[in-house]
Amino acid sequence: MEPPKIWRERRERYLGIGIICEDCQKKNFPKTRICPDCGSENVKPYKIAERGTLKYFTQIMNTGDELIFNTPYIVGLVELEDGIKVTAQIVDCDFKELRKGMKLEKTFRVLARNGKEGLIKYGFKFRPI
Amino acid sequence: MSNEVYIIGTGQTKFGEFFNLNIGDLASEAVNKAIENAGIGKDEIRTLFIGSTVSNSLSQSSIGGICTRSCSLSSNAYRIESGNASGAAAFHHAFLSIKSGLYDVVAVLGIDKLSDYIQNGTIEKILASSIDYQWEYEMGATLTGLYSFLTQAHMEEYGTTLEQLAYIPTKNHQNGVLNPKAQYRYAIPLEKFLNAKRIADPIGRFDVATPCDGAAVVILASERYIENKKPHSYKVKILSSSAGSDTLALQHREKLTELKATRLAVNDAYNKAKISANDINVAEVHDSHPIGEILAIEDLGLVPKGEGGKATVEGLTALNGKITVNPSGGLKARGDPFGATGIAQLIEIVEQIRGNAGKRQVEDVKYGLTQNVMGTGVMSYVSILGRGDN
Ligand SMILES: [Zn+2]
Repeated sequence: MEPPKIWRERRERYLGIGIICEDCQKKNFPKTRICPDCGSENVKPYKIAERGTLKYFTQIMNTGDELIFNTPYIVGLVELEDGIKVTAQIVDCDFKELRKGMKLEKTFRVLARNGKEGLIKYGFKFRPI
Repeated sequence: MSNEVYIIGTGQTKFGEFFNLNIGDLASEAVNKAIENAGIGKDEIRTLFIGSTVSNSLSQSSIGGICTRSCSLSSNAYRIESGNASGAAAFHHAFLSIKSGLYDVVAVLGIDKLSDYIQNGTIEKILASSIDYQWEYEMGATLTGLYSFLTQAHMEEYGTTLEQLAYIPTKNHQNGVLNPKAQYRYAIPLEKFLNAKRIADPIGRFDVATPCDGAAVVILASERYIENKKPHSYKVKILSSSAGSDTLALQHREKLTELKATRLAVNDAYNKAKISANDINVAEVHDSHPIGEILAIEDLGLVPKGEGGKATVEGLTALNGKITVNPSGGLKARGDPFGATGIAQLIEIVEQIRGNAGKRQVEDVKYGLTQNVMGTGVMSYVSILGRGDN
């Protein structure tokens, strides 16, 4: 949980800013300096869609140190309305209620905590609509 | 004279939890055994290629000097890292160093010591370094969580069932009973896998290979060296050593029902070895999770796509089945000291070709294959070995 890293990622984590390529028109998240699809440097910021559908999901029982406080939690692969896919936690619901193809929306939450008094990392998760 | 590359010696520690041994202790046992097996002098080794994911500790990632001192070697030594496939990656570079004509004798050490770290905390964080740490792990996924997505995708597309999946570790534990180097030398009944608590649904708590301690070494030599020095050991020919890649994160893949990196690597490996999947008698594949073995045998072309589960239930991949898969017990029963796994796979194939595999010996082995995978398949290494006299 390095402060410069959290600061550097703020636009991606807080706003969901990726890129769109002005040459091949492909959208990508997270951002890269050049287009991963065609190699063009002609890319501009692009805000990913707020809504999507649930492709796959599971309930995580064992995880790394900074995420343990949250277990058990649900993580899913979400396909957004603009075709971009992201991995994110699914919140405000019960594991048993989730179904593949469910409609979800992006929500701003705590991602990880560095102990009781350390830094808190924020980012996006998804919740059923 | 051509520039063929041979394996002339192997050495391996038992795999398991060794709280009283450090990385140098494990390395020296495996290196000394391999040198004795090859019948060469230590001073003949030009470079020690080390495949290690975590190394000595999270603070000493450069372990070349630790290993040369504890093994009493004076060669160059450095670490090659490719996540859980570090052993196979180191082997690939060792192969290239001889194939290029630069060196005549090199050693490859696969090693990791994971019993120092706790599960549900540090181990998951270490494994997260082989997936997309920023956009998978930090978002909440774990390696096993992502393997759950791969499992679901296969179940959905091909109708693979939980019961079919449970046959994989059941078979591998049966084989592990016959392997003196394996960590778990006992069979586990199918029901135990099916009834276990889910740790990342549909993956159960007994489905996943256990991170442990271990070291494994192979000694490689050039054709020129063998003709001049005529070492006494039975040589095994490396017909090909190939690598393939895919995206790091699952979310950037077109489909989750295949291991593209494995498919690319094996196509290259079959071409270079001038053989096809039908010629393979025995394979050691990356069964860190049950779906890993199903994807492997399909994408290596050993069974038709989508039929990995069915083939396993029918016993086609059992010991002395149509094609024996993981006679050593695989990662599941042998234990998984990440960097050592890729080398232990090669050693199993060498033993099978030499006819030294004891009770798990496959009949009449001509060609064997290994497949080692990083993370969820971002990098994959495939090697094909054959008899030294053909
Ligand atoms: Zn582009």
